[in-house]
Amino acid sequence: MHAQYGPAIGDIIEGALSWHMWGRLGWLDIKRRYRRTLIGPFWTTLSLGIFILALGIMWAHLWKQDPKTYLPFLCSGFLVWVMVSTTLIEGCAVFFSAEGLIKQLRFPYTTLVCSVVWRNVIVFLHNLIIFLFVSLYAGVQFTWATLLVVPGLLLVIVNGLWMVIILGLVCSRYRDIQQVMSSILQLAMFVTPIFWTADQLGERFGAFIDYNFLFHVVDIVRSPLLGKPPALWSWIFVGAATLLGWVATLVIFSRFRRRITYWI
Amino acid sequence: MASLVLENVTIDFPIYGSQKTFRHALFEKTTGGFIRREGTKNQRVTVRALENISLNLSHGDRLGMIGHNGAGKSTLLRVCAGVYEPTYGKISINGKVSPLFSTSPGLDGDDTGYENIQTCGMFLGMTPEEIVRKTPEIEQFSELGDYLSLPVRTYSTGMLVRLGFGIATSIDPEILLLDEGLGAGDARFAERANKRVDALVERASILVLASHSDALIKTMCNKAILLQGGRVIASGSVDDVIKEYHDLNKSVA
Repeated sequence: MHAQYGPAIGDIIEGALSWHMWGRLGWLDIKRRYRRTLIGPFWTTLSLGIFILALGIMWAHLWKQDPKTYLPFLCSGFLVWVMVSTTLIEGCAVFFSAEGLIKQLRFPYTTLVCSVVWRNVIVFLHNLIIFLFVSLYAGVQFTWATLLVVPGLLLVIVNGLWMVIILGLVCSRYRDIQQVMSSILQLAMFVTPIFWTADQLGERFGAFIDYNFLFHVVDIVRSPLLGKPPALWSWIFVGAATLLGWVATLVIFSRFRRRITYWI
Repeated sequence: MASLVLENVTIDFPIYGSQKTFRHALFEKTTGGFIRREGTKNQRVTVRALENISLNLSHGDRLGMIGHNGAGKSTLLRVCAGVYEPTYGKISINGKVSPLFSTSPGLDGDDTGYENIQTCGMFLGMTPEEIVRKTPEIEQFSELGDYLSLPVRTYSTGMLVRLGFGIATSIDPEILLLDEGLGAGDARFAERANKRVDALVERASILVLASHSDALIKTMCNKAILLQGGRVIASGSVDDVIKEYHDLNKSVA
């Protein structure tokens, strides 16, 4: 099967521009969570908040760390992690869960991809409330570096988009990947410095962190939230991954985009 | 000017069994070299749904597609909609395509009638401004009144049909693709529905209608094709094609 770059690029651009469509789809998903419940999506926030609080206090004690430094660290990192991993797991189902629509109407596949990412960004913004409380308690300093949250989050979104396109495409064909993905992410949560800090690991396993894509993705949002600029290496790493990821996505997407309808 | 051209379009559907999973492909990849040397072919099962279909439709054409179940009518409609890109052959669509295979794509039971007007309208290709402009018309046709502010899961089947139908028939199509079975409800509604479909078809530049019913095709179309087993076995004027269809029915019976 030959690659068709034109239609694939067109799909991505047209899909990304159809913001009124993915904006609405993502927002409706959130709205449905509010329905007939008192606090809707804040239930997730609440249980996440309790989890972070309980774990944070206990582990700060176990590792003999100051809760005022450990809690904000755990909270910021874990919230970003939840956003990224949920996006990836939901991203696996992005096409086959919309089978009814895809088989009836012609619209850019990227629209669906954007709505998954957008929905998770909205949830993340809900969850940021936890961090607000934690930082009030711990007295996290808001500095100029805090503003770097914005470009950091944008980079995470741009990377989320290509990852969801690839995962959604592969999972349309091979449904097992979704299970594989959730297992990998579960493991990744523990080997990525989220519950523990990078310097706790020591020299020997340093490469584990230096070349861990997910660590850098988390850190470019986490560090600014904590009022520190992220390491330059993180920016470089994520930047390079963005570039490579999008090139790979273009190659794969332009080759298999037209097969998606047949696969689902 | 709208146009819809199909050149030798062939559609093969791959059939994936439950055994054809990631594990399978993984093993295939690792052992692929050996197997290939032994000359075993890749056992991919496909079903040919359409074969060598050519169509050339331009402004004013109302094409009726007739044929038995499984003849390929719905698949051909979906090809015209751009949903399935042809395995072989070419398709060029000039103009906005409005496929009306279901009256309410994206309908969600928990959303209110108004919210669903927006969602379905959006999926049917309307811009937000267009939806706002068409909403009074949909309100009027569906006769749902205050119910439109309630979640649609509280609607009766008839109410749901009226809403979906009202939304679907409010679009301004260039190339309209219709699957039969659009429309239902009580007798009074059926009459109003027919009027609305007529007006909708009137607005369209090109119509493609798939149906079992020759009466429907006779009233709405000015040319027709007869499909069987994924192939066009007759095309031309409506009367000729319908005659062929009846001959085919007789020969089967």
